[in-house]
Formats: sequence, C-alpha cells, structure tokens
Amino acid sequence: MADARFPLAIRPRPEAGPLARLAAVLGGLVLGLAISVALLVGAGVEPSALLDEFVLVFLASPQSAASVLFQAEPLMFTGLAALLAFRARFWNIGIEGQMIAGAIIATAITLLPGIPDPLRLPVMALGAAIGGMAWIALPALLRLRLGVNEIITTLLLNYVALNGLLWLLYGPWKDPVSGFPYSAEYTAAERLPSLGWGRVDLALPLAILIALAIAFLLARSRFGFLLRFVEANPAASGALGIDVTKVVLTAVLASGALAGLAGFVVSAGVEYRMTQSFFVGYGFSGILIAFLARNRPILALVVALLVGLLMVGGQSMQVFYQIPGSMVQLIQAVLVITVAASDFFVGHRIVLQRAEAAG
Amino acid sequence: MDLQTPMTEALTLTGIDKAFAGFPALRAASFGVRRREVHALLGENGAGKTTLMNVAAGLYRPDRGELRVFGEPVVLDGPRAARKRLIGMVHQHFKLVPTFTATENIMLALEVQNFAAGRLEIRRRVGQLAEDLGFPVPLDRPVGTLSIAEQQRVEILKALAAGSEILILDEPTAVLTDEEGARLLANIRRLAERGTAVVLVTHKLRDVIAHADRVTVMRGGATVTTADPRALSLDLLTALVVGEVVATPTARQTTPGAELLVARGLSVSAADGPPLLDDVGFTLRAGEILGIAGVGGNGQTELVDVVSGVRRADRGSLRLAGEDLAAAPVATRRARGFAVVPADRKTQAMAGDLSVSDNYAVGGVLRTAFGGAALDHGAMRRAAGEAVAAFDVQGVHRLGQKASLLSGGNAQKLVLAREFSADPKVVVVHSPSRGLDMRAMAAVHARLREARDRGAAVLLVSEDLDEILALSDRVAVMSRGRITAEFPAPVDRQAVGRAMVDHG
Repeated sequence: MADARFPLAIRPRPEAGPLARLAAVLGGLVLGLAISVALLVGAGVEPSALLDEFVLVFLASPQSAASVLFQAEPLMFTGLAALLAFRARFWNIGIEGQMIAGAIIATAITLLPGIPDPLRLPVMALGAAIGGMAWIALPALLRLRLGVNEIITTLLLNYVALNGLLWLLYGPWKDPVSGFPYSAEYTAAERLPSLGWGRVDLALPLAILIALAIAFLLARSRFGFLLRFVEANPAASGALGIDVTKVVLTAVLASGALAGLAGFVVSAGVEYRMTQSFFVGYGFSGILIAFLARNRPILALVVALLVGLLMVGGQSMQVFYQIPGSMVQLIQAVLVITVAASDFFVGHRIVLQRAEAAG
Repeated sequence: MDLQTPMTEALTLTGIDKAFAGFPALRAASFGVRRREVHALLGENGAGKTTLMNVAAGLYRPDRGELRVFGEPVVLDGPRAARKRLIGMVHQHFKLVPTFTATENIMLALEVQNFAAGRLEIRRRVGQLAEDLGFPVPLDRPVGTLSIAEQQRVEILKALAAGSEILILDEPTAVLTDEEGARLLANIRRLAERGTAVVLVTHKLRDVIAHADRVTVMRGGATVTTADPRALSLDLLTALVVGEVVATPTARQTTPGAELLVARGLSVSAADGPPLLDDVGFTLRAGEILGIAGVGGNGQTELVDVVSGVRRADRGSLRLAGEDLAAAPVATRRARGFAVVPADRKTQAMAGDLSVSDNYAVGGVLRTAFGGAALDHGAMRRAAGEAVAAFDVQGVHRLGQKASLLSGGNAQKLVLAREFSADPKVVVVHSPSRGLDMRAMAAVHARLREARDRGAAVLLVSEDLDEILALSDRVAVMSRGRITAEFPAPVDRQAVGRAMVDHG
C-alpha cells in the first residue's frame, strides 16, 4: 500500500485548554508582529531602529513610557466600550460617533455658566456618558424592537455625529479668539488633572477602576451571568425567561456611556477643546482591542497599552523615517488578521500522521 | 442465509480504536457487511455506532485498526476517498444545501466537470434511479421546501448516484413517522436485493427484528456480538444492548386532581397559507399527562411555543388556576411554576459553550436562589454537582466542562434536572426522548411520571406514538394546527394512528 501522504493532518478539537488558547493567541500575535517588522523593514526602517522606537525607548525612558500610557488612556475606554457591546452580541461600530456625542455634551457643559469649578469635571464626565448613551440608544432600540442591523445604523450614525460636530465648529462654536474651527479652550478646572508623570492624567486610574468593575461584574454578578448566557445562546436565554432585551440594552447603553467617556477623556485630557478630528482612529482601535483581548476587560487594558505603544512608535517613525501614518493602521490590521486566524488552532489540532501499518 | 458459502465482505472494519481528546469512543470495534444484506448496527446513544460508521465513511481516521473494502486494505483520508471506494453514508443530520434543488445537491456530490451537460445527464439518471427504486422525489424544487422524508430520499439518491455499493444509513427512521419509516425500510430491502451492501445504524429494536439480515450490537465503544436477529428474542437483544434488562414501567395508579391549565381558542396565523394554530383548546388537570400526538409539522411546535411563552398567540386564553397567562412573558410563567423541555435541547434549552454547572444553575439564578446581585458560585457548583449525580448525567468529567460535550441523552437529563429543580406545577415537554437511547429514554420517562405523580400537570407533545402511548393518561391528536380528536385512556393505538393521518 504505497501511500504518499502529507504527513500533517488537521483534527478538530472539542475543548481547548486555557494554555492552548493562550498559545494560539500569542502565536498569532508573534506572527503578526513578524509580518509587521518585515513590512517596516521593507519600507526602509533599520531593524535596530525598530527595536529602539518600539521596545527600548519604552523601557529606558520614563517619559516615553508616560507618553505611551497617555496615548493608551482613550484606547482603554474605547476598548472597554467595544467589549461590553460585543458581550451582548451587539456589533457597536459607532464608537467614534458616540465619542463625538459625548465630547459635544462635555463641551456644551463647559459653555454653561454657574457650575462651581470643583463640579465641572464630574458634570462633564456624566454629560459625556449620557451623550454616548443617547447616541447608541437609537440603534439599540431599532435592533431590539425592529431587528434593524446595528452594524449599519451605528456605522452611519458616526457620519451624522461628525457632520453635527462640523456644523458646531464652523458655526456657533467657532473659536471666538482665532476664528479657527475649534471650540474655545477649556478652563483649568475643565481639564483632567495630571498625575505628575508626563501627561498621564486621572483618566488612567479611572480606566483601571472601570475595567476592574466590569471584570467583577462579568465574573461574579447575577447580571454578568445572565449576560454570558445571552452571549452564548440568545434563543435559549429567552426560552428560559431571561429578559434578553433588558440585558442587551443595559450592556449596550453601558458601552455607549464608555464611548462617550472616551470622547470626554480626549477633549478634556488631550486637546482641551473640541476639534474636527480628535476622535480619529480611537473607535476602530477599540474594536480591535476588544477583539484581541477576547472581550476580557483586564486584557483589554494590556492590549490598549500595546496599541498605544504602536501609535507612539508610529508617530516617531513618521517624523524620523518618513513612514506614512497609515503604516500603524496597516500593522493593526495585520495583527487582527493573524490573531483571528489563530482561532482556528483553538478549535483544531495539527497532528503528525502515523504511518499506517498495512495489512 | 447460507452460511457455508464463503462470502466476501464488502466492507470490513477490524480492531478499530478511536479516541477524542483522550476519551476512547471506539475500543477494538469490528464490523463487516456483505453485498445483498441489510446489516443493522444496534446500540444506545454514545455506544459508538455513528463514530464507527464515520470511520468507514472516511470522516474520522482510526487511531488503530484496519479497513478493507471488497477485500482490499484501504486508508480513507476523507469522504471523497470513501466515495471512490463506493462507500456512501446518509447522515442523521442531512448534508444538503437547502436553497439548491435535489438535482443540484446531487451534482455537488458528484463533482461534475461540465455543468450544463452534467445537469441534464444527472437529472435524467437520478430520475431513472428514483423511479426504479419507487422513490418519488421532486427533483427541481429547493431541497429546503421538501419534507424530511423527501430530503432523506435525496440523500440516499445522492449516495447511489455516486455509484455507492456500500450504503450506510445513520438512524434513518429517527426522523420519520411510523408509516414513512416502514416504507423506507421496504425500499432499503429492495436496494439490498439489487446487490447493495446496506448498513442500518439504529437504536430501534423493532426495526432490527423486522428488517435486518444480521445485527451487530455495540456497547461502550466495543462491538459486543454479531448475530441473526431472528435467532434472538427481544429481551435478549435488549439485554445485549443495555447490558441488563430495562424494566418496563407499570401502568399508573393515581387519579388526576383539579383542573389546572385551561387553554381556549389559541390561534397563531401564518404570513401566508392556513393558520399554524387554529382554535386550539385543552384542559389539563393536576397529576395528569396529556399527550399531543400527530405527524410532525402540524402545529405542535407552535403550541409548545405559545404555551411556554416563547411565542405570543394571536387569540385565545391560557388560564393557570384562573389567571390568564396568554400574554404573560416567559419569566412570569416560570415564576408561576412552568417547566419547559423544548424539542431542540441544544439550541433552545442550553448554552453549549457554557459549563455544565452554569447550564444547570441558570434556573436557580433566575429565581434569585443564588443571590440577587452577586452570585454564590460555590453554591451553584454544589447544586449542579448534586443534580448531576441525582439525575445520573454521565460524561461529566468536570462541572466546568462545556455542556456541548454531553451526549444527547445526558444533555436532556441535565435539562430535566434544571427544569425539575423548583418542583414545577406545569410541565411542557416536546419530544423529550428524540434521539435518546433506551436507557436514557427510560430515565426521562420515569422523571415525567414522577412529576405527574407529585401533582404536576404535564403537557407531552411528541411525534413518537410509542412515547405518547407509554406515558399519556389522555391523548389528543393535532392535525393542521387543530386538535382533531381526543382519546381517554386506555388508548387504542390504531385509532390514534388513523386520526394522525386522517386530514379530513
């Protein structure tokens, strides 16, 4: 029996252990990074420079570390926003729109007289959360009541929010001093206070606190249990008497609130005003972060840091090596593809074929 | 059969071992089938029948053991290789593209080169084949619009059109009515007479006794024996299958109590065509099992959905001790003491990706038995562990393992354990033993009788007439969305059967 066979075979694996899962994700990550390095080197960056910009700088200089953390702050919020919605099987592609809505409300609050200084930041944060929630409420209700696909509605509402923002910036909110299309600068009481390490501000501990709260909620609370059931099988959940609409709506509104907060974190912590493009990239990076972190909140913080590192490193690449800024997005995309592909190895095993003992 | 003549086996499997993730599914299993015979492969669910046949069909590679086709040792590395060796398998879950016609589905399997010419040629050949076999199949309608029995015929034609001379049928009668099943088995006999080697995988003893030339019994992944079924008594065959004789239940002795659940005029209209439920009413007393018999697709699913609250009736009332629940959400009904065991347990009653423990505890979590805000996970696991033991759910290595890894019978026991954990007043069950082996079925039936004897009102909807007759105190027959007949106990099987097929 001459059997010229390929020596490897693919076998389905019913239940992968946590180690196999971790190995698969890490393998995907490493492959993605290897491809990214090849891309960057191909674009003319010295391999040693890569090490400098992406690894050594972060370890060697506390200032660079701080800038990465600072860059990661809004990403942590958008990542958490994305994963909460995904946990409810609601594909929130409208995080940027919700960020804009949140930041608009926060900025509107800065324009209100009569709020005492110490209350300004909390009121702005609350307003931003409500703004984000309001922006996701319509897609949520359309989906839950009429079955309208939320991918379309949340995505398109991004453009509605953007055009609303442009109208504000070119109209009523145009900077009274310079006439440029951005809002008046926030006052000192309306800016997130620094923690005294680079530009790292209050948003970082807030993000960590929220991530811990979400992790606890998912693992230990009754709501988290019901949400896990709805995620795993919505039809059975309904048949068991879980109020699926309520569970999904709660998670989705919380997602919108976090996205709104992300808008507030950028406007009150980075720009200190509303600009035309303060939100760019954060929303889609949030989706990437939730995906890479497998919808786990603590992991999302770690992935947000990595994406922050990628962004900061990419910025200096842009300055020193004339690498286009879109390279960072390309690397993100490569990572998504390789990690998504690694899922295959969670469900399957590659085994070495044993030679068949013939008759 | 003349056992003196040396007959070549068409297909032999010898000493087959197969393990999944370290758990052995087959242990040195051996099996052979000859031309011109119907060889039954009999065993409980999880005995390894389907796994062994998947090895024969090239879907699984054995860890050890030998396959021979017409005497020649072969290695099958996929269904395509099996097809080349003239082995065809009709799976329990059909592998058909619902939007394609029968002809197109068969073309897919044949991998024809020239699409247009191949289409006509195959259409002609399949039509001829169908006619020869007495297998009426609409060849030009999308398969999704065909009945289950017709889809099954398409699967069989698909295997035969590919030239299969060894035909493996996995639980072919499980999805059919009595009548359709008998017709299929007669057709299979005709196939065997034309020279095909037929493997009939089944857990129905009756099919084996009436239709098989030989029977091989499997238990716990091993082949126990091969024999002529006519030489075996039903009791002996049963003993071989389960390893011990399952006691047949005795008739009930209790008297039903007060009227508990009263349905009147329940109706559900369809977007087009006749209503799915048409003015259905019934009265269910405490301590009584009302069986709803009928050929599948006559409104049973809608009735279960409407009573359990998954679907809202357009009209009608459903009173539990006087309170109308027809518009109440599922949660309210459950709070009033409803327990529901839907037909499709894996998609309607469980979350397969979650743990055994979670799938049991969700009932308690919804009743806030494990805490209102934060959950007591220790208590949940303990309760799940006790239930798994009490309901004899097997195959649970850890309470944290995925529920989807349980076999059908054990999954059903887990669902029953959860549904019965709060001592329900009303039990709604749909085809509770579909796809289960005898032992699991006996366990499920015992639990339903227990619930009845504790005073629950049980609505048993089933397409399996044996099940209806074994359990019910009264039987109603559904046809075209209506209840067309009612029979008090003792129920005459013939009369119910006639009512089921009489669409008058």
